[in-house]
Amino acid sequence: MSQPTQHQPTQHQPTQHQPARRQTTSRLSIVSPASEAAASHASEGSLVLVGINHTTAPIEVRERLAIPLARLADATRTLAQQPGIREALVLSTCNRVEFITIQDRSQDRATGSATPNLLRFLHEYFAVSAATLEPHLYEFREREAVRHLFRVASSLDSMVVGEPQILGQVKESYSVARQVGAVSTALDPLLQRAFAVAKRVRTETQIGSSSVSIASVAVDLARKIFGSLHGKTVLIVGAGKMSDLAARHLIQQGATSILVTNRTHERAAQMAAQIANQIATQLASGPVASDTAAIACTTEVIPFDQIYAQAARADIVLTSTGSEQPIFLRSHGQSFLERRRNRPMFFIDIAVPRDVDPLMNQVEGCFVYDIDDLQQVAAAHLANRGRESAAAENIVTREVEIYLERLQSRDAVPAIVALQHSAEALRQSEIERTAAKLAAAAEPFTPAQLSAVEALTRSLTAKLLHPQLTALRKKSEE
Amino acid sequence: MTLLWLRLAVLLYGIAALAVLPAALYDRPRWRHIAVPATIAAALFHFVSLTETLNAAHHRLPVETHELQSLLALILALAFLLVYARYRSVSLGIFVLPIAFLLATLAAFRPGEQTLSAPIRTGWIFLHIVFLLAAYAALVVSLLASLLYLIQERRLKRKSTGHGWLSPLDTPLETIDQIALKSLLFGLPCMTAGLLIGSVIAQQDYGAKYFTDPKILLTFGLWLAYIAMIFIRRASGLRGRRAVYLSSFVFLVVLFVWAANQFSAVHRFSIP
Repeated sequence: MSQPTQHQPTQHQPTQHQPARRQTTSRLSIVSPASEAAASHASEGSLVLVGINHTTAPIEVRERLAIPLARLADATRTLAQQPGIREALVLSTCNRVEFITIQDRSQDRATGSATPNLLRFLHEYFAVSAATLEPHLYEFREREAVRHLFRVASSLDSMVVGEPQILGQVKESYSVARQVGAVSTALDPLLQRAFAVAKRVRTETQIGSSSVSIASVAVDLARKIFGSLHGKTVLIVGAGKMSDLAARHLIQQGATSILVTNRTHERAAQMAAQIANQIATQLASGPVASDTAAIACTTEVIPFDQIYAQAARADIVLTSTGSEQPIFLRSHGQSFLERRRNRPMFFIDIAVPRDVDPLMNQVEGCFVYDIDDLQQVAAAHLANRGRESAAAENIVTREVEIYLERLQSRDAVPAIVALQHSAEALRQSEIERTAAKLAAAAEPFTPAQLSAVEALTRSLTAKLLHPQLTALRKKSEE
Repeated sequence: MTLLWLRLAVLLYGIAALAVLPAALYDRPRWRHIAVPATIAAALFHFVSLTETLNAAHHRLPVETHELQSLLALILALAFLLVYARYRSVSLGIFVLPIAFLLATLAAFRPGEQTLSAPIRTGWIFLHIVFLLAAYAALVVSLLASLLYLIQERRLKRKSTGHGWLSPLDTPLETIDQIALKSLLFGLPCMTAGLLIGSVIAQQDYGAKYFTDPKILLTFGLWLAYIAMIFIRRASGLRGRRAVYLSSFVFLVVLFVWAANQFSAVHRFSIP
């Protein structure tokens, strides 16, 4: 068994990713031979995980290995067909590409490492030279590979710790690998366990309970005010990228009417058209994940000079203009609230300088969050995730132990059965030999004698095997 | 035995009242799994205790002060469970469960020994009492929801970050407003039915003089205030601070009506 390695330390070039890489290196703890042997997928082969992620490789490298969903089945099949590889799974996301394999143990013995198969595959499939890849690759084996997979599925290894997408991506990779027949007795239970661990982490910690991006924080706050956003009207003032992103989040959560305004009417119309296209695409691609997804969202362009007349229609005002002066003053807020019969209004001000006078927050029913407020909430949520991740790591550590214990118990069973079969065969052959000798001497066993000898030898065999079987069971438990 | 059930219910209300704090104030959803089942169990024990008490003493009529307090506590606990079932929100429990705990404690540790002063028509009077208590409970829930609205509004305006104390509650502002308004809309027909039943019985048994009693007049005043409050809330979309003021005023009237029982010459059905 080999220990977790990184390829050719001498090849490590100092890059801007070097600190992150050192962090990864420290994670690759050396596994003692005894524990590694205990952790092995003995009956199935060696578990080897090789990959790159956002901490070890820049985007230029990651994008060369990235595999679109349409090609995932082909890549998985090709990997599984490599010599020495019994089972395979390919995980490709924007932040990581990982190849999880069960390899013949003979490969290890022949080459001292199981990685050459994978490196050859990477080189052939992606047409990327080993020299380009190796400095960025990490490799985990057995126990550490299990641990890494559990961490990835639980979103502890993600760029944004706790983000929920990764579990879906792992499940997707697993589904593809099953379809092409690349996962079987070793990877299947491992993946199932990884999903269970991820679920446990989500349930027992608050690692994914709060939003950490500006847009999702804004949506969360809107939900704290309005509950469901279904049927809510959003006014977008100014046409910026952030507004576009936040608007998309709001639509996904069920906002059904989007009003767009800008000093330049054409830009407002352009943005309204973009949003309408997004909605159309969303609808065309079938039902989306959110249960409150946009179904009948309408867009409307409002002339900028009518902004004060129309703003009261909006439950949420998303503003990001380049105006030097605030567009919405406290008096506007009071006027809007009167016209809305005190129904609350949420102002998301992501403009710098600010578009909404901070004093408007003092108006009962008006809630104003500027970019700093949103960032502070996001940062606090991120810090909270950091605290929760310690609890999540403990769960992963315990789960790795439990998984390996089960695996080892399972591995001990064939050895015990084989030993029992061998002893039984020996016992039978000895009885037959003795019976044949006695028959030749014309003094064959009587049925009573044969029965007594059977009982005696069975008892002797059981007693002789007992310490060995106990030792085997004990060793597997250890 | 009856008191034992009630004391068990009190204990469970206490546990639920404590468990709801981290669930609602510190965004620790796992504490719901203690608060909600504890309230359900408490309400069950409470119901058993109340049924046994009323069955034994007064032909199923809650007329004694502690019995009324106990019944009100049970209705409030049921209101909390209803709100939870409808909105999946436990925030209201911050106020409702301690109140239920206190009312049930009074009944559990200071049981009254009053009896019915005169034979009365049990069935209709029972409905009269239950409807009016439901209306009072609805008003209390509305007031508490208005207070909750104020707290949530302050927390959102304070822009506190992260989890824990001072972070926004788990219940959205509009949901809290709906709870406040819908509980009033539920309470009005209850109060109307309760008053109608009481009026018909009083007219038949005591005649017109019954309606000149201050307690009865105050009750009709409360009914008008109830209607006015619903009208104002719906017409002007009253929320937040002003809604709390209005609800508090009507709640004050309720307290007067409750207290007026002690001074009423005609509206007395129990003797020590």
